[in-house]
Amino acid sequence: MNREMLNRDELARKKRIKMILSIIRFLLIGIFLLIFMFPVYWIAIGAFKVEGEFYNFPPVFWPSQFSFENFERAFTMFNGTKGLVDSLIVAGANTVIVICFGVLLAYSMGRFKTGGDNLSFFVISLLFAPPVISAIPLFMIFRTLSMLDTYRVLYLSYILFNMPFGVWIMKGFFEDIPPGIEHAALLDGYSRWQAFRKYVLPLAVPGIAVTALFVFIFSWNEFLFALIFTRSSVETLTITLSGMIGGHQIHWGELSALSLVAILPGIILTLFFQKYLVRGLTFGAVKG
Amino acid sequence: MSKLQGNTAIQRSEHRFAIITALPGLIALIVLVAGPLLYMFFNSLFIKTLAAPIPPQFNWFGNYGKVLSDSRFWNAFKNTMIIMGVGIPVQAFLGLTIALLLSKPFPGSRVIVAMFLIPVMITPIVSGFQWKIILNQRFGPMNYLLGILIGMEPKSWLAEPFLAMVSILIMDTWQWTPFVTVVLLAGLSAIPKQVYEASSVDGSTMWGTLWRVTLPLLKPMFTLVVLLRIIFIFKIFDPVYILTGGGPGISTETLSLLTYITGFKNFNVGITSTLAVVQLIAMVIIAKLFMKLVMGRKER
Repeated sequence: MNREMLNRDELARKKRIKMILSIIRFLLIGIFLLIFMFPVYWIAIGAFKVEGEFYNFPPVFWPSQFSFENFERAFTMFNGTKGLVDSLIVAGANTVIVICFGVLLAYSMGRFKTGGDNLSFFVISLLFAPPVISAIPLFMIFRTLSMLDTYRVLYLSYILFNMPFGVWIMKGFFEDIPPGIEHAALLDGYSRWQAFRKYVLPLAVPGIAVTALFVFIFSWNEFLFALIFTRSSVETLTITLSGMIGGHQIHWGELSALSLVAILPGIILTLFFQKYLVRGLTFGAVKG
Repeated sequence: MSKLQGNTAIQRSEHRFAIITALPGLIALIVLVAGPLLYMFFNSLFIKTLAAPIPPQFNWFGNYGKVLSDSRFWNAFKNTMIIMGVGIPVQAFLGLTIALLLSKPFPGSRVIVAMFLIPVMITPIVSGFQWKIILNQRFGPMNYLLGILIGMEPKSWLAEPFLAMVSILIMDTWQWTPFVTVVLLAGLSAIPKQVYEASSVDGSTMWGTLWRVTLPLLKPMFTLVVLLRIIFIFKIFDPVYILTGGGPGISTETLSLLTYITGFKNFNVGITSTLAVVQLIAMVIIAKLFMKLVMGRKER
């Protein structure tokens, strides 16, 4: 009897501790979330502030009214439209090239171990090398070919970091597909090419699509090559943005509005493809 | 016999197919890489500039000696090392803390994890802008919040060398801690429940379990995340370029930034190429390490 009561007390105590711990846990999660979301919130809210509200102290945490003027001016007076269109062109073209060439190379490496460890090492070194390394030789070569300040120069040079990425990730996806599938197709009398196209490729489509999204975002976010290889006839969004802090005055409102537009694709990718994001960012080392 | 022949025929066709599929991508990569790389190495042996019409002058490995004895190079090296040496441990600690908090799933935890991940995919130059606004001495919310929370005097974050470095560390930690978190979360979810049960049967406390069971099992994930962070910090350019531009002075100049400035502000082709070769060698070593520690383990 006594022992049972003791047990009940003990149980109640344990339950209380558990509850307190879980309250602390959620409180901490909330605080961390607040801290990590704050900068994004600040850009988003800044996009709707009117000019004067940027020069208030204490800062304006919630604008008295939401204004769309910043977006309007960013797109009309600050070249935002050109930035957006050019970014779409460059990122789109680069994604198509990288995926078309990359899928084949990835399949070859994933299925046949083409090139063995040496090719793997080559690809991974390219992935890890700082882009600024290749900037000077590429600049001089592109200058000689008078390719500077064109769309071509950007979507071709982005191959340098996007292709290794795409190949590395898609190689993993192909490795996940059992080779028995092609063998069955080959026994059925299909050619090697047909076996690949009709049997393997459809299975790899989800992985390829997500890789394409990644490649697109990396091109979309790219700044250094765009800064070096273009002047005025091509201007991607990141260049438009950096131009906004160049002059005498920083146009915070317009800058925030255009920044919000720039980060939207990445945010959408993150929210919907979280599982693949981990895999992509660790270059396939974590399957997610 | 005929079966064997059939096999070699298939093998040969497989082999041909492997080469045909690999070629287009491989050629694209080699054209984009091998040419420029050789050209870069070639340039690193010359005194060569685009700033003045002086003919290039062969200098053997003179540029290398010059770079390795240049205090600005070592300053950039030191700054890059500081970002790694301070940033990575801080991010590992914070990342682990958040991962442990999130490790037991609860309703909506997936959405929360996804939200935590947003900083990772933010356009890098935008993250530079954000922090430039937030850390603004006069109007930024950072000084305001620190003022009301802990009564700190307003700081000129980006104008003082030490604080500018702190600012970069804050920005980098903000952007990459979530990455550490999700990698460690993946590691945590792979630890079988029985391991914890066994440990609690042994009468281990929460801390004991963390130290003796969880952390050792997470070691491979830590290796992975630290290596990847080293690689990413090596490359860091956009956000630093926007936030401090390497300043004040050269107090936050990183290796990438120094390479950019030498090449595209001073147009010194010879020295830039030398800097690039030096970084490339460092990178190849790290890539080798990555292959050995991370990829090698996976295959076994």
